[in-house]
Amino acid sequence: MRFVFVLLALVFAVSASAVEEKYDFANEEQAALFAELTKELRCPKCQNQNIADSDAVVAKDLRDKVEQLVKEGQSKDQVIDYMIDRYGYFVHYQPPVTPATILLWILPGLIVVGGFAFIILRQKKAAQKARWSEADEQQLQKLITRYKRKESA
Amino acid sequence: MNKKWLVLTPLAVFLLLCVFLLKGLFSDPRELQSGRVNQALPAFDLPDLMTPQKRWTNADMAGQTYLINVWGTWCPTCLAELGYLTELRERGVTIVGLYYEQGYDPDFGDRFDLAALQQEVRDMLARAGDPYQFNMLDLDRQFILDLGVSGAPETFLVNGEGKVLVHHTGDVNARVWRAKFAPLLGE
Amino acid sequence: MIPELGYFSLTLAMVLCVLLFIFPMWGAHTGNLRLMRAAPSLAVGQFIFVLLSFAALIYASLTDDFTVAYVAHHSSSTLPWYYKITSTWGGHEGAILLWLVMQAGWTAAVALMSKSLPWPLRARVLGVLGFLAVGFMLYTLLMSSPFDRLLPYYPVEGRDLNPLLQDPGMIIHPPLLYMGYVGLSVSFAFAIAALLTGQLDNLWAKWSRPWTMAAWGFLTLGITIGSWWAYAELGWGGWWFWDPVENASLMPWLVATALLHSLAVTEKRGIFKSWTVLLAIAAFSLSLLGTFIVRSGIIVSVHAFASDPDRGMFILAFLAIVVGGGLTLYALRAGHVSSEGRYSLFSREVALWLNNILLVVATLIVLLGTLLPMIHKELGLGSISIGEPFFNQMFTYLIVPFALLLGAAPLLRWKQNKLKQVAGKYGLGVIIALVLTAAWLFSSFAKVSAITFMATALALWIVVMSAQDLLQKTAQAQSIKRLGLSYWAMLLGHIGLALVIMSVALTSAYSTERDVRVVPGEQVALGGYDFRFDGVKVIRGPNYTGHAGVVTVFKDGEQETVLHAEKRRYDIGMQFMTEAAVDAGLSRDLYLALGEQLTGGAWSLRIYHKPFVRVMWLGGILIALAGFIVLFDRRYRRRNPKEAQA
Repeated sequence: MRFVFVLLALVFAVSASAVEEKYDFANEEQAALFAELTKELRCPKCQNQNIADSDAVVAKDLRDKVEQLVKEGQSKDQVIDYMIDRYGYFVHYQPPVTPATILLWILPGLIVVGGFAFIILRQKKAAQKARWSEADEQQLQKLITRYKRKESA
Repeated sequence: MNKKWLVLTPLAVFLLLCVFLLKGLFSDPRELQSGRVNQALPAFDLPDLMTPQKRWTNADMAGQTYLINVWGTWCPTCLAELGYLTELRERGVTIVGLYYEQGYDPDFGDRFDLAALQQEVRDMLARAGDPYQFNMLDLDRQFILDLGVSGAPETFLVNGEGKVLVHHTGDVNARVWRAKFAPLLGE
Repeated sequence: MIPELGYFSLTLAMVLCVLLFIFPMWGAHTGNLRLMRAAPSLAVGQFIFVLLSFAALIYASLTDDFTVAYVAHHSSSTLPWYYKITSTWGGHEGAILLWLVMQAGWTAAVALMSKSLPWPLRARVLGVLGFLAVGFMLYTLLMSSPFDRLLPYYPVEGRDLNPLLQDPGMIIHPPLLYMGYVGLSVSFAFAIAALLTGQLDNLWAKWSRPWTMAAWGFLTLGITIGSWWAYAELGWGGWWFWDPVENASLMPWLVATALLHSLAVTEKRGIFKSWTVLLAIAAFSLSLLGTFIVRSGIIVSVHAFASDPDRGMFILAFLAIVVGGGLTLYALRAGHVSSEGRYSLFSREVALWLNNILLVVATLIVLLGTLLPMIHKELGLGSISIGEPFFNQMFTYLIVPFALLLGAAPLLRWKQNKLKQVAGKYGLGVIIALVLTAAWLFSSFAKVSAITFMATALALWIVVMSAQDLLQKTAQAQSIKRLGLSYWAMLLGHIGLALVIMSVALTSAYSTERDVRVVPGEQVALGGYDFRFDGVKVIRGPNYTGHAGVVTVFKDGEQETVLHAEKRRYDIGMQFMTEAAVDAGLSRDLYLALGEQLTGGAWSLRIYHKPFVRVMWLGGILIALAGFIVLFDRRYRRRNPKEAQA
């Protein structure tokens, strides 16, 4: 039985190389670039889906176009620009840096800085409070003498 | 004092957010901004849908202000807007049809039957009104992609210098016409 | 008749909830103990009526009562009985009713298990929960009743449940998620009650903590199962899409995670009080905000829920009242709360504070990324998209300090530490983690990228440091048995997260896929396996027909398994569904999705090899388990003095 499987495997090993890829690229880099791009580009017609996952006609057209451009040897940025030229920034899942979108990076940064600043300031304040001053010493002596009197009384 | 101001920030941020949420509630999240507005119309060289020997290029439309309407017989919204578009044609607006053939996909080994499509188009236009000067067929959808079209119907307003002034997604009706197209045509 | 009874029962429940809001609140305000004492029985009463109402909907669905609009729209007579039950939360109206059941259940649970609480606090907690329930019940009764009839013209057959939802994952995913969302309302109620009472102390934190833990555990489980469901059911082999609906569940989870760490500090050290209260308010607020985002259709999501601006208005108004009210109260009261307590910069307090900062930043990133496209457009700046590349990049940055901190913090003591005492352990941890990572990755994979190496090393760092901590604590406690359950929970949760980090890193780096055109007999190689396509057979389910691609999988020439990747067409609605075939394993998943039929007897087939993807959900389950284990800790088990004596 096992022998049969090995035999089968051998037979099919020949045909394995003949399987037709849906997207057949000259090299690994292009295939990887294609996979990356189709995940980062958004289908303009559908709900929230990238063009790799969508079955819509326009998503298929964009996929084919990405395939064509990648095969022509265009870079990632060139393909993205090509799409943005036609479909606007909406088509790319990475937002452009604009005065409004800059908040996406600035606000998180501010919170981190603010959080650190808060804890350090608090330390300083606590340290100030904790310092044993001349007045504290006098207050303590007063209390000691008062309670001593009470005890003796 | 400092702390009092600090404890108010969450409330302030939340109220600001509510304003946007309220505004967002009354707008359509699917309405998109086009990449093509205020840019030159991409180059095209396409066959006429009815007489494929005839080809249309940008040069044929030079100097004219006109609409390009992307449509297909498979699209119910397109059928719905044909009436209003025909009305526009009667008022003297030039409308060029750009036929979006959705079913044809060479990868699937589809055969394309031009004669059947022409008949379908003739039937539909005879029934619902024919607003088009002529129709172009973009079988491989390259021009459609260059225009940034994601479906049908979509309508473009192109001026005499070949610049795209409006890119509208969805049907054109009296309200849309007044709001988006008429002001640019000086109507 | 039964649906009308369901509606009536819900109305009664709402009346009880109105009383549950007024009586204890007024009682606590005036010091009237009799009014306050009414709260627990009202809480239990409304739960019973909500349950009856839910039972009525299930009954209508099971009996195929298509005169009920909800049943006609979300069920059909051919649907298997278990999906008829789950269809009661497959649509908007039913989902909200399920939410109500959860809300009522949590309220009743708090009423029954809060006997040790002082009456003014207990009454106010229940009062706040009553108020929240009134809001949702009003919404259900006025705008989204699942009991509306289609009379006199009703369909003979229902429209069937969305095929995407006909999946075991969907049976448990929404209830778990809602348990989490609604559970956070208990933390919220505790926070509001504490602000009203003015009793913001460590006792409050101690009472609030098990509830928060439980809610967080459910939320974790819900998100984990949701991710698994998307993977199994959407047919794209993805496990997280950064879709607004997913983000809506992630935000409360992140804040709740911050909250339970902050609660620990407040309970043990009596500090960070106003911060902890703010987190408790924020966690539930984000649950509500998430619901609003999901249900209002304000943002385009792949999960298309029915949207309706009127409903959106109601939820927004409710959100504004609850969150706005909570934050106003916070602004009025929290300014007077002072947190005394001294600690040095190198202490567990500061480590947990940094944990909180990072989690809040993560929440902010998700919130901004979800809402900014909408705000961007409203400001007239045009449409933008924020998705995977952005979120992945930001979370990669965040996870580095977070994981480093997570490994280091458990070894720190409260108040202050000497670097000398821990430096050796940290050094050892770094070395072991790096060596293990290098040994493992370079021996198993041909290519190791810097980012994969770093993420794996971080995961192992957490594991190694947890182990060192366990050894040290065992030595200190002299016996492993004397370590409390809370400690074990922490360990489990941290290791769960380490597994998630590792899994995400490895599956992202080493997943491979092929999208091929195959004819029967052809064989495809991927990830060390050979997949032989044996053809397609016709299948027939209870409410669908379709094709199953039969694929025999070989490893080194030996048969490993036979997989059936299905493409179904559901009878009603004619929707196509890809039912992926998965051969699951801890070290790898083989995932097959059947595509379209091509010419010449060929089919398109997508094959994925996903190393360690399953470890992610295992990690998620461990994290959730941590939340549930804490509930059995002796400290929280002592509900009232009598039990303690017994």
